[in-house]
Amino acid sequence: MSIPPIELINVTKTYGEFKAVDDISFTVPEGTICGFLGPNGAGKTTSIRMMLDILRPSSGSISILGAPRALDVRRRIGYLPEEKGLYKKMTATAMIAYFATLKGVPAREAKTTAGQLLEKYGLGSFQNHKCEALSKGMGQKVQVLASIAHDPDLVILDEPFSGLDPVNQGVMEEVIRDIRTRGKTILFSTHVMSHAERICERVVIMAAGRLIFDGTVEEAQSLLPRRVRVRGEGAASTLEQMHEVLSSSPSTDGREGVVELRLREGADPQKLLKNAFEKKIALEIFEVVDPNLHEVFVHLVGEDAREAAFR
Amino acid sequence: MIQVFRIAQREYMENVKTKGFWIGIIIFPILIWMMIELPKFLEEQGIPTRHLIIVDRSDGSGDIARQRITLLNRQKILAGLQKHMADATKSQREEKMDEIDLDPDQLLDQLEEGLERLGNPDLEIQPFQPDQLVKIGDLLPEQMLLDDTQWRNLKKLLLSQLPEDTPEFIEPPLRFQEVLLPDGYSLSNSDEEIEDLMRPYLRSEKNLKFGEEEVELFALLIIPEDVLKTNTRVRFWSPNLADNDLIDGILDSLSEEARQLEYNRRGIESKDVAEVASMKVRSVKFNPNKREGDEKVGIRDKIRQYAPIGFVYMLWVAIFTIAQMLLNNTIEEKSNRLIEVLLSSVTTTELLLGKVFGVAAVGVTMQCAWIGSLIAILRYKAGPSATWIADLIAAVITPELLGGFVFYFIAGYFFYAFLFAGIGSICNTIKEAQNFMSPLMLLMMVPLGTMTFIPNDPNGAIATALSWIPPWTPFVMMNRMAASPPVSEIYGTAALLLISVLVVFWLSAKIFRIGVLRTGQPPKLMELFRWLRGTHS
Repeated sequence: MSIPPIELINVTKTYGEFKAVDDISFTVPEGTICGFLGPNGAGKTTSIRMMLDILRPSSGSISILGAPRALDVRRRIGYLPEEKGLYKKMTATAMIAYFATLKGVPAREAKTTAGQLLEKYGLGSFQNHKCEALSKGMGQKVQVLASIAHDPDLVILDEPFSGLDPVNQGVMEEVIRDIRTRGKTILFSTHVMSHAERICERVVIMAAGRLIFDGTVEEAQSLLPRRVRVRGEGAASTLEQMHEVLSSSPSTDGREGVVELRLREGADPQKLLKNAFEKKIALEIFEVVDPNLHEVFVHLVGEDAREAAFR
Repeated sequence: MIQVFRIAQREYMENVKTKGFWIGIIIFPILIWMMIELPKFLEEQGIPTRHLIIVDRSDGSGDIARQRITLLNRQKILAGLQKHMADATKSQREEKMDEIDLDPDQLLDQLEEGLERLGNPDLEIQPFQPDQLVKIGDLLPEQMLLDDTQWRNLKKLLLSQLPEDTPEFIEPPLRFQEVLLPDGYSLSNSDEEIEDLMRPYLRSEKNLKFGEEEVELFALLIIPEDVLKTNTRVRFWSPNLADNDLIDGILDSLSEEARQLEYNRRGIESKDVAEVASMKVRSVKFNPNKREGDEKVGIRDKIRQYAPIGFVYMLWVAIFTIAQMLLNNTIEEKSNRLIEVLLSSVTTTELLLGKVFGVAAVGVTMQCAWIGSLIAILRYKAGPSATWIADLIAAVITPELLGGFVFYFIAGYFFYAFLFAGIGSICNTIKEAQNFMSPLMLLMMVPLGTMTFIPNDPNGAIATALSWIPPWTPFVMMNRMAASPPVSEIYGTAALLLISVLVVFWLSAKIFRIGVLRTGQPPKLMELFRWLRGTHS
């Protein structure tokens, strides 16, 4: 098995009394898209900065692409920070090329790549525009492209979707998937669960400096009980008697007479269907609903998540 | 190291591309050009002739005033004539690189002889050297200017000495011209009446008639009776109280006349007084630091003594313009969070060094452009082989001065650059930076304040003490460079300066490392101190 691109072992970062990151350990396997989730102040940015060796952890160890310090392998890492800025007076091409050269790409090659990337992601006609003339969304795309122009093996994006309209969010997802297609590893932090749900294979969730989940999206979803929505005469009253069902309540999806049954952990919805069939209940609706990541997130981080979820 | 180069390169290119950089490059030669051309231009435009009215109630004092006006007028013409002669003999003087010692007495004798022989074709006039022609104007006694015949002959003689192809000399307009009181008024009117009448003229509300022309009245001068004997005062009315040449000159002449009268009354021969008064003790200056036999101090030495002031000023301006540049773009990178991306690619030390070197290159470019344009302008203005520019360049391009300038520029720049970069790293806006800058500005003003008095006592206690304070070492030592300060001091202060540059680098790298990632309020002093002690991160 290959060395995981990101491996954190018992990493802690303290500022005086305050523990910004408290004893976290996780790994991100090669070639995966990993979502890094957590409410504001959870310690995501601090963790990312430690992975990049911009900050040193107070204790614990970090291995990035097999190296103890990210700076040793900086040419193989791409990074987009949370707050995005550009050199206002530089052109989009020059800006992307500059960051690529800092990562060791020869100047001429960097310039060519910059032009190609801008072309590919719909900014071809803005190549020679100064960054100050770009819209916020365009500027952000330029920054993302600047962080990947040297074709890094590991890409770390801090809040890549924030501030983008839905169309550009789609483009950003495309960028991330493209990187993955080339066999690279991506870690990105976000507050928007739908993005994570759509493109991530794994998620790492942090809250208040601690790691509260690390696993695949399916594993995360399995943390919450599944639900079954039913409609039909006597369906709800019969099925809610079953051992598998925890509770029932009218469905909130707006449809008349639909009842939502929450299942016990590990319960098989097929048993409910079988039971209804045996009891000869005329089912009009029988839907198995998997919990979404948002619900898992809210469940895991509780009240802390409120602020984050509505961002 | 390649990263440092890349950052420096970008820093350089970005600064060089700004309008401010080019404005800075262009504005300097324009200013120099204006400094050279403007006085000349104003002179050529000339202050128009100023008109005045003299109300003379005394017995002859008005004529003394008029004589003074004639003198002022002829001095102006003489100045024009001198310039004319200087222009006409320019190429001749350039050929002669040696400085000629001009003996004033001998020159005047030659002039008087020339004046006597003028108009007599049998007697040959001993020709004047071009250098003598340029300088003779400064030596002429007032008496010679005031005597109409001598004055006429003098002009003729001097102009006859110029090369044949010299264009004709055009006399500049008179400086002062007396006009008469308006019709209907005369000395029979009282001072008050005349003053009331002239007020609107003095305020430029009305114009006077002078021949066919309408002219503005510049001044009204009322000379009271017995002005030379009693304590009565001359009344001088003028809307322009800044131009005192007229009234000062007239008062000088009147005072002189009053003194003459008094000498006579006391039975002292005024000729004796004049002779005694013309006695003057002169000096010849020597510099012990020069080679034996070559100790006499010439113009070159004078330029050399004052050249360091120019260097200090240039050093100061250069260091602070570019250190300020560094401060600004550190804050820019910090406030738009680019610094984080940079730091994922380079170490803080690489970033700091790259920025400092890049901006240094900008400064050096600017300096070279300035010095280059300065030399170009001087050469253009003075012709390809002008002696004085040779003097200037020879005076300035000595190993001590030039070497000193280069060393102190580099060391001083790095000292302040690291300091400014450190400050930039803890501030999010220029406004925040200003809080830190104001005490620093005060610190920086000191060498400017001492700049002019250090050459008076370059190796004195104050200069020596200031030399040992690292922030001031570059400026103060540069200032003293021409005076050959003790070698031990040169190397001692240089060593101390270099050590402080390293200390400032180390401190600011430490602050930079923490500061650049920090958002929000700039840190308090105590907090900075903790950073330096390393109890943070």
